[in-house]
Amino acid sequence: MINLKNVSFTYKKENILQDISLNIESHVSILGENGSGKSTFAKLLCGLQSYEGKISIEAENIEQLSLLDLAKTIAYVPAQLEIYDDSMSVENFVLLGRFAYKDRFFAYSKEDKEKTKEVLELLHLEYLSHLSMNSLSSGQMQLVLIAQALTQESKIIIFDEPTANLDPKNSKIIGKYIKQLKKKCQVILITHDLHLAKFIDSPVLFVKNKKISFQKDFFNPATLRVLYGVAFDDLVVAYA
Amino acid sequence: MLKISVWLLFVSIFLVSPFIGVVDLDMAKILHSGSLSQTIFFDLRLPRVLFAFSAGAILALSGLLFQTLFRNPMMTPYTLGISSGAVLGAGIAIKLGLATLFFGVASVSVFGFLGAFLTVVLLMYLSQFLHSAYNTSLLLLGIALSLFYTSALMIVFYLGSSIQNDMLIRFTMGSLSIIGWGNPILLAGVALFLLGSSLIYRYELQLMSISDESARLKGVNTKKTTMLLLLLASLAIGILVSISGPIGFVGLIVPHMVYKLYPQSVEKRISKTALFGGLFLVFCDTLTRAIQTQSELPIGIMTALIGGPFFIYLIVKGSEK
Repeated sequence: MINLKNVSFTYKKENILQDISLNIESHVSILGENGSGKSTFAKLLCGLQSYEGKISIEAENIEQLSLLDLAKTIAYVPAQLEIYDDSMSVENFVLLGRFAYKDRFFAYSKEDKEKTKEVLELLHLEYLSHLSMNSLSSGQMQLVLIAQALTQESKIIIFDEPTANLDPKNSKIIGKYIKQLKKKCQVILITHDLHLAKFIDSPVLFVKNKKISFQKDFFNPATLRVLYGVAFDDLVVAYA
Repeated sequence: MLKISVWLLFVSIFLVSPFIGVVDLDMAKILHSGSLSQTIFFDLRLPRVLFAFSAGAILALSGLLFQTLFRNPMMTPYTLGISSGAVLGAGIAIKLGLATLFFGVASVSVFGFLGAFLTVVLLMYLSQFLHSAYNTSLLLLGIALSLFYTSALMIVFYLGSSIQNDMLIRFTMGSLSIIGWGNPILLAGVALFLLGSSLIYRYELQLMSISDESARLKGVNTKKTTMLLLLLASLAIGILVSISGPIGFVGLIVPHMVYKLYPQSVEKRISKTALFGGLFLVFCDTLTRAIQTQSELPIGIMTALIGGPFFIYLIVKGSEK
């Protein structure tokens, strides 16, 4: 359970999120317009940004958690990742999810490597193992990023627009995996993709006017029209 | 094949290095105590090889650290103005005529080290104010500092006597000539310390070679790691430059050369880079001594002359596919 108490975030003197108090008990999908602060919200949860107020996960203030413990608690899957080191192979990259479990001075253990192999097999990615991360297609990259989050074995995984760069086929594959993951851990999905949000079928948090709140009956054309301020009823009829 | 030939060449030059120089050694007399050959071999040549090797290892390793921590292939202690700081410090000491010793260390070295150290402190202080595009801004900051130091050095030149200026020019060209074992042992210690620290942080470095954010999300205290390793590398460079003067190019290209030869993740390249850097500088230094000119060629010229074409070859070969 994630609890936010009077959380505000300001960037360059501009208020992005203001005085948010919220309980997130389980899986959620977060939607909202471009620039509304969805990704910022994710970064606050991961401890990447400093903020006012208090965020706790399982009653523990995340500012008081060590970075290693935070990594065991929450994993973040970006839409894309540009990697400076061209030589980083997929296998190596996925293994790095185990950093928080590794002994400080020692190499990654046999169990860490086995865990990596397991995850790669689970996602059918063995054939990519030895390729460079920078040579992957967007679809492959997203799957590998998910694989790394899985080796991290955290209680919560945040997906930040997982289908943003994907074709319909790959979006469908990713969607399926995310839905399956709901059985294993708490899934926080940030997306613009109404198809995906509907498919994942978690309660919806909507970010608007510096506030975040739960939306009941989100996929109702009338609700969507109010939230996004445009009529696209025809597009949404299918979900209603 | 290329790998083997390069290592073979470097190692064999390393082994013959102490036997090469302006004075031909009388092999039979090397082990005779009191002979000139023995003095040259044991008090000049051998310590110089150790000095050059340690210097090369420090330069290459700090280049690798800077490039990885900032994820920028241009980043080295040199491009950030740290060695220019040392040169300015040394220049001021020479201008002030400080030929004295501080606790047995030449004041030129003390001032050189202070110049490097203050530059690091200044860079770290200023970097707090950088927000966007942190790496590029820092690089620009370093370049601005370097240019500022160069102008300040020009003032020192302008005010200096011709004898002082001659000393200063020699210092700025870099030199590996040393006498005795004191400096080589100091530098070898510094090199080992830097290598050890880099190896302890190898998995943090591996994560940081992806991106800062990525590393943090996996549990790396990126700020602490960056500060610590930068400080260590900069101090090592400060000590080195204060003794030898600036030796450019090694820190920039050796990490890239090793990467071209061994396209592996960074944690596997740390020791190789240090070793390669050491052997590379001994190789270049041996050539400066082998080529008989009026006096020794400055080492900085040799590193660029040898390293430049080889580096270009590796880049062209690497992009052939």
